[in-house]
Amino acid sequence: MKSINLLIRIILLLPLVILPAGCGGGGGGGAPGPSLVSLSVTPVNTSITAGGTQQLTATGTFSDGTTRDVSSQSTWTSSPAGVVRISNTGLVSSLGPTGSVSITAAIGTVTSPPVTLTVTAGSTAGANVMAVTVNGSLCSDATSANYFNKPCVSVTICNPGSSTCVTVNDILLDTGSYGLRVFNQALTGLNLTQAPSGTGSLAECIQFADGSSIWGPVKLASVQLGNEPAVQMPIQVIDASFATTPTSCGQPDATPAAAGYTGVLGVGPLAQDCGPNCANTRVGLYFSCTGAVCTGATVGLADQVPNPVARLPVDKNGVQVRLPSVALTGAPTLVGSLLLGIGTQTNNTPAVAPTVLPANQQGEFRATLSGATSSVNSFLDTGSNALFFPSSLPPCTGANFNFYCPPSTTSLTATMVGATGSPSLPVQFTIGNANGLFASNNNVFSDVGGPSTFGFDWGLPFFMGRNVFIGINGTVSPNLGTGPFVAF
Amino acid sequence: MKIAPLILCLALLAGLFLPQPSLATLGEGADSVTKDRHALSAAKRASTSHAKYTVQEIASDATTVREYLDLSGVVFAVAWNGMVHPDLTTILGSYAGEFKDAKRKMPRQHGLKRSKVQSSRVIVETWGHMGNLQGRAYLPALLPEGVSADEIN
Repeated sequence: MKSINLLIRIILLLPLVILPAGCGGGGGGGAPGPSLVSLSVTPVNTSITAGGTQQLTATGTFSDGTTRDVSSQSTWTSSPAGVVRISNTGLVSSLGPTGSVSITAAIGTVTSPPVTLTVTAGSTAGANVMAVTVNGSLCSDATSANYFNKPCVSVTICNPGSSTCVTVNDILLDTGSYGLRVFNQALTGLNLTQAPSGTGSLAECIQFADGSSIWGPVKLASVQLGNEPAVQMPIQVIDASFATTPTSCGQPDATPAAAGYTGVLGVGPLAQDCGPNCANTRVGLYFSCTGAVCTGATVGLADQVPNPVARLPVDKNGVQVRLPSVALTGAPTLVGSLLLGIGTQTNNTPAVAPTVLPANQQGEFRATLSGATSSVNSFLDTGSNALFFPSSLPPCTGANFNFYCPPSTTSLTATMVGATGSPSLPVQFTIGNANGLFASNNNVFSDVGGPSTFGFDWGLPFFMGRNVFIGINGTVSPNLGTGPFVAF
Repeated sequence: MKIAPLILCLALLAGLFLPQPSLATLGEGADSVTKDRHALSAAKRASTSHAKYTVQEIASDATTVREYLDLSGVVFAVAWNGMVHPDLTTILGSYAGEFKDAKRKMPRQHGLKRSKVQSSRVIVETWGHMGNLQGRAYLPALLPEGVSADEIN
């Protein structure tokens, strides 16, 4: 068998050697084509969980200086045996045991330097659990300067129907939006197809509440959340240089550093990023591009960028955000989790029934600060890094003018009211002096607030010390009812 | 009897194909509200009167805009909510330049779903999240006496 394999490999390899010679045309009569000089394997250092897979790539460098992917022509070897299996194309599959293996690729007498792959214990928490780090290891230092209370997750994105994938960290967990959006720069190695729109291709502009925006094509990708099955869906590839940015999109962020993240995972209480409005009218989110020219487009619900959770086979009715509590003085980092699905597995079924606040078709409910005469729009948003609400508390002077600076830490109460008018639920919270808090070395704060003119934005501090459920519109969660809702 | 509809049709078509002029709203007269409506391809929906001012609401498919006129008919504030922010260049008119300068000078802070940009004559505030973006722009010096900025929303 081995000799047959070798024979097949030699036959497969022949064109590599012969074709370039034929194309070059400049060699002396009968001179051999460029020969293989060296081999390298990427990624160099990687880890997978028990039962997982990882695609390795062998790149050959030839005597004429050219390089090409020779994964399928290489003989793959791993040591010690019994930890992983490697396919002829370089796909590594865990056989079960944990540990590190050394892997090489070889063609003829040329062998690559070894790379290390570590198999770690599979998560016992379940396939529907995603780690969330607040200013922790899943956040990139390059995008997080002066950015406190930043919750990051990791998402794996693949070419549809292929094992070619990238795992992207520094994805902002955002319950205030819907859909997966990732900077083009983080998707190197993938070849995603742009979604069609009429006779053109689909692109999107997302305007944010702080006046910033992102722009780029909508592409079809295979998205894997946690260890859930990968699902094909439209995502936005953030790329400010794509085609000609519509005037209404302003000056979109061009780099992760400018945006403050490498991507956004929008898992709020709605199933799509626009909904019926965009299906019927051109509202300024979606554009159809032909060449560099993009004009407003309508997009049906099924083709809009979806909340990725809504596309999961089973755990599709919502999420649960779990963050530990944080002392009033703050913490350097925080590790929590995002559970996919509500009441669909043992681990995402609430032990004690939470209070359910129905939301409206904007994902909002109402809130009244104690002492205020009227209620305001309100939403739960992990993507906001403080509690923003109208109050007579004094804003900070100086650079922190976006935050409150009460002379001493202040306890407040607001009443949340479901969008349907009930139930009413008083919520206590604490606001410290932001200038004092930010002077510490901490990055995570449970008691940071800031002024708002329009409504009550319950940012990340609200989630600390709570299990917060977010139910997606049109889906039913056992005992909690039909989304959109928030519950805790 | 047949010519009138034809002229109307031609006028409508001309309106459709004319390049949209750079319009101004804040600080201008009531006629700029009508111009705004064209620029925003929006329809007038409602007008409500208060003791010191009138609010004219115009709605497009994407965004609802409320324009605040004092008793002499000058627009002193504009507020909005919807899927997208309206074109601030249109809303701010002659104040767009100083707004852009002030915005450029503000350091970017991540994690906020709001902003407040203040230049010497105009204040622009935005707030919200995907699906419901809100904002207001107003000229503090032109607020009618006894009217608080809190009334603009």
